[in-house]
Amino acid sequence: MPGRVSDPGETSIVPVSPKPLEPVNVPIRHGLTPPISRVAISWSNGNSLRVSFFRQPSSTSNTEEVGGKVVEVKLSDGDGEIDDAKWRRIAYGSATPFALLQNRKNLSQLPMASSQHHRFEWWEHVMEFSRGINSLLGDPLASVDSIIEDPRMVVEKVEKPTNLKAAWELMEIFYADKRSQAWLPERLVDWLTVIDYDILLSGSCETVHSKLLDFQTDLDNIQVVEDSPKYWEVISSALAVGWLEIVVKLLHLHGSYQLDQLGNRETENGLVEAIAVLISKMPRLRPEMLAGKLGECCQTKPDFAKAWERWRAQLTKLDCSAYWVQCDHRQTREGLRHMLQIMLGNANSLNDATCHWIELYVSHLLYIRPFTAGLESMNSLAQKCIDMKPISSPHKLMGLLTGILSESTEVVLGECSRAFGPWMVCHAIELLSAGSNQAEVLLHEEPYNLGGISIEVLQRLAYAQVLSSHELTWQIAPIYLASCMKQGMGLLEILLYKQPVQHKQLLLKNIEICRLYELDSISSNIMKVAGVHHWKHGRKGPGVFWLQQACDEVRLNRISQHLFDFVGKSISDESFKQWDRLIELLGSETRIAGGLEFLHKYRDFKRSLQHVIDAKTPDAARQAVESLILLMKNPSTPQRFWLPLLHDSLKLLNWEERPLLNVSQTTLLLNKLQELSMARLRPDFVESDLPPQALSAVRLALAMNLGRAILEE
Amino acid sequence: MTVTEPVKIYKLPQSKYIDNVRWLPPLSAFDCLYALAVFDSDTNTPSLEIHSITKPNPQKPELHSTWLSPSRISSLRVSNSLIAAATYGGSLHFLVPDSAEGLVESGRENELHTGGIASVDLMEGECVSVGEDGRVNVVRVRDGLELTGVFDSHGLAAYSAVKWASPTEFVTGGYGFGLQWWDQRKPGGPVFKFKANWVHGANSGIVHSVDIHPSRKHTCLAGGSAGTIFAWDLRWPQQHIFLSGVGMNESTTHSPCESEVWEIQYDVYMQSSNIKASSAWILPVMSCSEDGILAVVEQGEEPIELLAEPCAINGFDIDKQNPSDVICSLEWESVAILTRP
Repeated sequence: MPGRVSDPGETSIVPVSPKPLEPVNVPIRHGLTPPISRVAISWSNGNSLRVSFFRQPSSTSNTEEVGGKVVEVKLSDGDGEIDDAKWRRIAYGSATPFALLQNRKNLSQLPMASSQHHRFEWWEHVMEFSRGINSLLGDPLASVDSIIEDPRMVVEKVEKPTNLKAAWELMEIFYADKRSQAWLPERLVDWLTVIDYDILLSGSCETVHSKLLDFQTDLDNIQVVEDSPKYWEVISSALAVGWLEIVVKLLHLHGSYQLDQLGNRETENGLVEAIAVLISKMPRLRPEMLAGKLGECCQTKPDFAKAWERWRAQLTKLDCSAYWVQCDHRQTREGLRHMLQIMLGNANSLNDATCHWIELYVSHLLYIRPFTAGLESMNSLAQKCIDMKPISSPHKLMGLLTGILSESTEVVLGECSRAFGPWMVCHAIELLSAGSNQAEVLLHEEPYNLGGISIEVLQRLAYAQVLSSHELTWQIAPIYLASCMKQGMGLLEILLYKQPVQHKQLLLKNIEICRLYELDSISSNIMKVAGVHHWKHGRKGPGVFWLQQACDEVRLNRISQHLFDFVGKSISDESFKQWDRLIELLGSETRIAGGLEFLHKYRDFKRSLQHVIDAKTPDAARQAVESLILLMKNPSTPQRFWLPLLHDSLKLLNWEERPLLNVSQTTLLLNKLQELSMARLRPDFVESDLPPQALSAVRLALAMNLGRAILEE
Repeated sequence: MTVTEPVKIYKLPQSKYIDNVRWLPPLSAFDCLYALAVFDSDTNTPSLEIHSITKPNPQKPELHSTWLSPSRISSLRVSNSLIAAATYGGSLHFLVPDSAEGLVESGRENELHTGGIASVDLMEGECVSVGEDGRVNVVRVRDGLELTGVFDSHGLAAYSAVKWASPTEFVTGGYGFGLQWWDQRKPGGPVFKFKANWVHGANSGIVHSVDIHPSRKHTCLAGGSAGTIFAWDLRWPQQHIFLSGVGMNESTTHSPCESEVWEIQYDVYMQSSNIKASSAWILPVMSCSEDGILAVVEQGEEPIELLAEPCAINGFDIDKQNPSDVICSLEWESVAILTRP
């Protein structure tokens, strides 16, 4: 029908809640006295806002009052289950398994390595990765070790598992663990029972687990349990979801087991025991039984079919037995027969005994359709159970489970992202793409509307952005960025540029990352930034060091001009000692120093001059002359140093014994002097603070030296 | 030197970034104390925490006391029961752990350095501090603080590590793999200087940590960039002894790591393999690095790796009372305690 506006509820794959989110009020305490003239808001690190308050500049001269204040407001992520510190721990811990998996992926794509790697199936690598991640999400629920087992303790109080761990395990069962494909229903039963995820559902509605907990508290006040209707109700519920150990334990609380009553309640006790034995003999189609769990394990389908038939026959036989008539205790009789009905798969009994649809679903898988195989039939059964027990508020785990059962990769991705955030999507994609070819195609194709990158890469980039936004986690973002062929390296460069350079430790960590990913140009740019930063803050040594590390000759030349201003003004033998440190920092002459190279030669010249004054030997003097000529010849020697240099070497020029400079050397120096006189006329000439007669003294000395040199030659 | 029993490693997650870690002398006979300079990124608060553990099983540490610092702690030293904490804000604080009142601040210098203190060292109530601003200060802690500025290079030099050699002498390390020997009786600048002469081409480095063995004051040990650990003997000031580092042609050196060596300390627990060692022989050295290696290096020996982590090990400390115990701070907000057999 043209023009019809489609109902979003029908077509959207992921249900979108139509009601807008409630606004959240966050009170901020700024402690300023009003009036406040201006408020500025900007994003700070991660999930926090930076709010700046400015007061009206007060006319009353109350100078002690601060003019404003900046407050950081942390916005909660809405999920109180896992706090920030815990998320960071998960982020740290998952980086290594992720990097290892990517590494293996790259290795397996090499043609030469394939033969060696095919011995190890790919899914086994994925499983290793999954187990690594799983161990981070919480410890396996260890039951409290008590030396004396309390027979009346039916449900152990355990630490509440997280939804995240439950979700991860679901993904692992359905996508990563290829061994579980043959016995998915049993895995699902385990998921709900062994791992006690039923607790998680308790928050929103009543579950078998919450029923058991209630009964546990009542248990202390009940003398004769078998008289209580609640006892039988709880037993049936636990049986329906397959918590066989708890059922047997509860049955053993039955009054007929007590020694004083055993005599006159023999038949009754026999029936209870018969049920308990049948329960513990229930056949299960699975490779192995977990330790401490009841049931008989059948590894192949024919075995299981036989065992199942035999067990059912025993149940029917007991159901038709004549002993029921002899049982005087009404509640026991009815309770036990109800349990038989559950085991025989009476749909109504199962429906009554369970609360949540997933519990009903599990009971169906256990007692009515134990041969269910394949996701399609599992899905249709799940849909049936949802119809039978609809729930008002959708639970995030159930959303994920229905997505998985309906074999819709898009829904699974959507649910992961909506309920568990970018970390989950980024890592769960590894499991998804290992799960099926169809999912892999979907995750790896590069559609135009995503900017030519795949969903997998997109999600990794999104997660890397989350990591980058926090000052403690940015260092693991490169691992994820580097795994994205497209866009990743570009974003990595931006990330590295964004890091502050003030702290040496942070700067070095940054440069180390550059080294690991062979980003030499980035690294040298960062060093340049650091160098200029130090220079600007008056730390000349570190400034020069970093510019030198970056081989930045241009900037070294520029700053050398500034340095020479400083040197030129305060040059005396005493203050030059300070420069020694900087010159040493510059290192050997092979290192790039730009204009600072002059400092080296200048120091050498000063030293040899000092040597001449101390020793007064012709050899030392000749050496000093060599350095002087080298300095004057060198184009990097700044013009403003020419006159001071020559003035310093007057002693050499006026050497008494014989002229130390030959004709050509003297001519060179005279030419330099001439050049200097010309340069004086230029406006930017810097006058040295030598006495005014310095120039004429040098000129005279040079002229005399020239005369003596000519005579000698 | 064979380690027969494995080293026991206990990891203690902190949910705060660890800036520094040091063992403390015990207050009573039963507990074992360590100080952590931490930074809580959720609340943006830096602080100093003292934790206590019981020995055979250090897995459940108890928070003993906390002191809020004005800015993040860049360097932390302990001498007897005095703690010196230097900050990136340039202030220096002296704290005394007290069993009743927790941590008591006994004195502070607010603006010793501009742009943060890089390193401090404490010996017999005298604290020397250095910074990238090129200043060297000595603060005397006896009935109040007395500051004696030793030297100011006006930013021409920058120092990143310092260690006392004797009550009057100390050694500093800085940019360009330089080491300087100072004597308070001879003011006006360093008495001896050492400059790395192995640096060719563009790659020079920074000394991050220096150490001096109390029985061999003439030998300075230094660790820094590119996995470099070297020793400098004052008696032969133009030479150096290389223990580890990248790009060395000498085949005798084995480098446990390639990146920044953040901290080094003489490892008094390890017995030197060379029993008749002359005083020129360098004793075993423990080092931790950016690439996550905690190792013991000895001259001419294969390094012994104690811990290899996927993240950086930013610092460590060997317990003076019980040198088999090592505590180290890991980049990923946790602390590891190692007990050697």
